[in-house]
Amino acid sequence: MATYNYIEKAIQVTRREFVALTGVAAAILWSGAYAITDVVEDRNKYIKLRTAGLYKDDEKSALRQSHKNKSLMDMYAKLANKPLSPVAEKLFHTQYVDRTKLG
Amino acid sequence: MTKYDDNAVVLKHEAGTRLFHWGLILGFLPTAFTGIAIWLKPFSGDMMNVLMMVHIVGAWVLSLACVLFFIFRHKRVVAFWREIFTWTKDDVAWMKVSGGYPQKIFLGKIVPVPPMRKMNSGQKMMGIMVFIGTILVVVTGWILYAALPMVPKEIAFYADLIHLIVGLGLTICVVCGHIVLSIYNWKECVCMFGDGTMRVNDAKHHNELWVNEDIEPVETTN
Repeated sequence: MATYNYIEKAIQVTRREFVALTGVAAAILWSGAYAITDVVEDRNKYIKLRTAGLYKDDEKSALRQSHKNKSLMDMYAKLANKPLSPVAEKLFHTQYVDRTKLG
Repeated sequence: MTKYDDNAVVLKHEAGTRLFHWGLILGFLPTAFTGIAIWLKPFSGDMMNVLMMVHIVGAWVLSLACVLFFIFRHKRVVAFWREIFTWTKDDVAWMKVSGGYPQKIFLGKIVPVPPMRKMNSGQKMMGIMVFIGTILVVVTGWILYAALPMVPKEIAFYADLIHLIVGLGLTICVVCGHIVLSIYNWKECVCMFGDGTMRVNDAKHHNELWVNEDIEPVETTN
């Protein structure tokens, strides 16, 4: 246990300092929160528009699943045998490349 | 002016402050060094992942230390704020001779230095940088860690840039200035890392105004 015979005088925070600091902190927090909310909302707006567009495209399509797409199945029959076949793997699939050192 | 007995001891840094200082050490130093590695990418992918995890854990410690100190020691934050932004003619005079440190370290000469309160002018300058810099590093760090998919590219770009530049600046100041000088002023270093006390006459050497005006005797020994 520490032994001492002198101590720092108690810190007195004046009402003026308290109000000023609380005001500044509140202003920073609220303006920051407002700016971030605004920015996120704006960004979400485009994501929602894009999502709505995709759903609309989907609704308009007669065929909504790739395995029912005749031209796609025709391509598999003539060229790539079947999904995940060696030819399909070679033509359509990609591989992981470690790019952490390229930046 | 009060004359102090050679055995007189003052509690310079209370437990909350010392705990916060430990939080800064355990939070800031690991994040600073791993941050440099994350920036330069000298290691393999696996190693970089480990460093990123250390960086994130350190950032949590740093953030929590700051938030808890602001909540539970807000008066101390006000005192710190008041101290670092109060500059007098004495501070200008102190800065002119750099606190007498270069003369003492490199030339072995003792030059007269104006009396200081609890913080000297160099510490005040460092305090301003740490106060604003830490807030910037923590806020931008949290944007990069928790909000990256949500924020626009411009904000992510500037958050990354500010995080890097301010983080590097703080690291240089802490490693090359604060740590070096704290080891040089060994008694102050032991006081902050130990039980927070030091002999009044030792404190008076660096903080004459603080000893003369801001301390008082305690009734009973704790």
